[in-house]
Amino acid sequence: MKSNIAIKVDDLTVAYNYKPVLWDIDLEIPEGVLMAIVGPNGAGKSTLIKSILGILNPIAGSVSIYGKSYEKQRALVAYVPQKGSVDWDFPTTALDVVMMGTYGNLGWIKRPGQKEKKKALEALEKVGMLPFKNRQISQLSGGQQQRIFLARALVQDASIYFMDEPFQGVDATTEIAIINILKELRKANKTVIVVHHDLQTVPEYFDWVTFLNVKKIATGPVKDIFNDDNLTKTYGINYKVSIQE
Amino acid sequence: MSSAQIEIQLIASLVAIACAIPGTFLVLRKMAMISDAISHSILPGIVIGFFITQDLNSPLLIFLAAITGIITVVLVEYIQKTGLVKEDTAIGLVFPILFSIGVILIAKNANDVHLDVDAVLLGELAFAPFNRLLIAGVDVGPKSLWIIGCILLITIGLLFAFFKELKISTFDAGLAASLGFSPAVIHYGLMTVSSVTTVGAFDAVGAILVVALMIAPAATAYLLTTNLKRMLVYAICFGVFSAISGYWLAHWLDASIAGSITTMLGLLFLMVYLFAPNKGVIAVLYREKQQRTEVSLLTFLLHLRNHSEEEERHVNHLNEHINWQKVRSKTVLELALKNNMIVIDNHIVSLTEKGKDFTSQALDYIITNEDSKIEHMKDDFFLFRG
Repeated sequence: MKSNIAIKVDDLTVAYNYKPVLWDIDLEIPEGVLMAIVGPNGAGKSTLIKSILGILNPIAGSVSIYGKSYEKQRALVAYVPQKGSVDWDFPTTALDVVMMGTYGNLGWIKRPGQKEKKKALEALEKVGMLPFKNRQISQLSGGQQQRIFLARALVQDASIYFMDEPFQGVDATTEIAIINILKELRKANKTVIVVHHDLQTVPEYFDWVTFLNVKKIATGPVKDIFNDDNLTKTYGINYKVSIQE
Repeated sequence: MSSAQIEIQLIASLVAIACAIPGTFLVLRKMAMISDAISHSILPGIVIGFFITQDLNSPLLIFLAAITGIITVVLVEYIQKTGLVKEDTAIGLVFPILFSIGVILIAKNANDVHLDVDAVLLGELAFAPFNRLLIAGVDVGPKSLWIIGCILLITIGLLFAFFKELKISTFDAGLAASLGFSPAVIHYGLMTVSSVTTVGAFDAVGAILVVALMIAPAATAYLLTTNLKRMLVYAICFGVFSAISGYWLAHWLDASIAGSITTMLGLLFLMVYLFAPNKGVIAVLYREKQQRTEVSLLTFLLHLRNHSEEEERHVNHLNEHINWQKVRSKTVLELALKNNMIVIDNHIVSLTEKGKDFTSQALDYIITNEDSKIEHMKDDFFLFRG
C-alpha cells in the first residue's frame, strides 16, 4: 500500500492575464508512482508542473512536497522542461548541459568541479550519450537532445522527477530508452510525473494518471480510471481506447 | 606614441572589454535591441544627474542613468506583457520617449553648459585625456579611464562570481527557476551592468558606439565558436582589436575615433561572416556543393550495386544511364576512385569491398537515421554531419 504522499496540491488556481488556465486543482500524488498528466492543448498541463516548481506564481492555493514548501525541498526535485523551450544553438556542449543539473546543489557562486563532472559523465553513460559528450548541442538529433535533458535531471539524483513532454519529436528507439529509464526510477521508489500526449501508450507506460482540462477531471491508478468516461470528459469527444491488463 | 595617444587607446580598449562581457549575454538572450534602448534612454538620467552635480563624471550621474536604464527595461516588459504589442514595438515606443525627455531638458536648461546631445550620442574620445583626475593635487590620469576601469573591474568580478548562474538562466530559464536561481534577479543584474557600462562609456565613446561595442564583437564571436567561455574571450579580443585599429584608422584618416572603431567592428564582422570556418557564408556554400557531389556519389554507387550487367557499368555510358552531364559524371567517378570505392577494368566500373561497405552503411543511415553507426564517416563526408 502506497501511503506516503510525495506531492500535495491544494486549491491551486493559476491565471494568465486574469484568465484562469488552472482552476481549483486538488491533487495528491503518492510516492513511487509513474504518473502521466494528459489533457488537450491548453489544458494547463505544463502550467501545473511549472506552478508546482515555483516557476509560475499561482493566484491561489498551495503546493507541498513531502509536507513542506517547494522552496525547502528543491533538492528533492528534478525538472525536464520541454525540449523546444531552449535555444539549441546556445554555444555549449552536451556534457556542459548535463552539468547544469548539478548547479542546484551547488547553490549560488560555487562552481562545479571534478565531483560534478564525474556525476554528469555517469548520467550521460546511463542515457547512452557518453560518446557525444563533447558534441555541440545543435549538432545533436532531437532524440539525443531529449536524452541530454533526461541525463541532466538524473544528475540531480532527486526523489521526484517532472518531465514536460519528453517523448515529443523523438524516434522510437529514444522513446523506449527513456521509458525504460523512467521505469527504473520508479523501481527505485522515485516519483515520476510526465506530461504526455500519446493516449495509446498510457496504459503501457504509466501506472498512475491525471486527467486535466483547466479543472482536474480525475486522478488515480491507470487500471481504475483510464476509461472512456474520463477520456470523454477530458477531451470532449468519445475516445476508444482499450485497456490492456 | 604620445601619452595622450596611449591613454585614448587604453580607454577605448577598456570600454570595449566592459561592453563585450554584457554584450555576449545580450546577444545570446536575443536582447541586442535592449542595449540600443538603454543607450538612448539613459539621457534623461544623465541630464538630471548633471543638473544636480554639474559634473559629467559624478557617480550620482552614473547611478541615475543606470536607474533610467532599468526603468526602460521595466517599461518595455510591462508594455509587452499586456500582449497588445510585440517586444520590438515596445522597445521602439519606450526609448524615443525617454530620450526626447532628455533632449527637451537639455534644450530648456543647459544651453550654456558643457552638455549637448551630440556629446552624449557620439562622445569624443580625443578629448578624454584632457579631463584629468586629480587626487590631492596629483594627476593620476584621465577621469574616464578611472571610471571605465572601475566599471570593468566590477563587471569582471560579477562575471566570475555568477558565470554559472548567467549561463544557466540564459540557456534554460525554466530550469534555473526550478533550481532556485531566480532568472529575474539575473536578468535585472545583467540589465544593471549593461546600463552602468553604457553610462560609463558614453562620455568616452558616445551612446551609439556603446551599442556597436556590445553587439558586434559578440555577434562576430558567435560565428566562430561553440563554447561560451571562448565566445567571451573572442568577443573581448575583437572589441579590443577594433578599438585599437579603429583609433589608428581615425588617426590616418583624421576622422572621428568613435566612427572609425565602429567601422572596424563592421569590417571585422563582415570578414568573419564570409570566412568563418563552419558558419561562414563561403564555408556553407562549399559544404552545400560537397553535399551535392556526395549525394551524386551515393547515387552512383547504388546504381553500381543494383546492376550487375556490363552495359549499365560502362564508363562512357554512365552519363546516359543515370542522366548526368559529362562533367558531373567525371567528378563523381574521380571522387569514387580517389576513395578506392570502385575499380575500372577495361572501361567497366565495379564496386570494391570498401565501396560496397560504404554503400550499405550510408543506406542504413539514411533509412534508420541512427547517428552512432556512422561516426567514423563524418570526418570524410559532409553528408553525414547533419
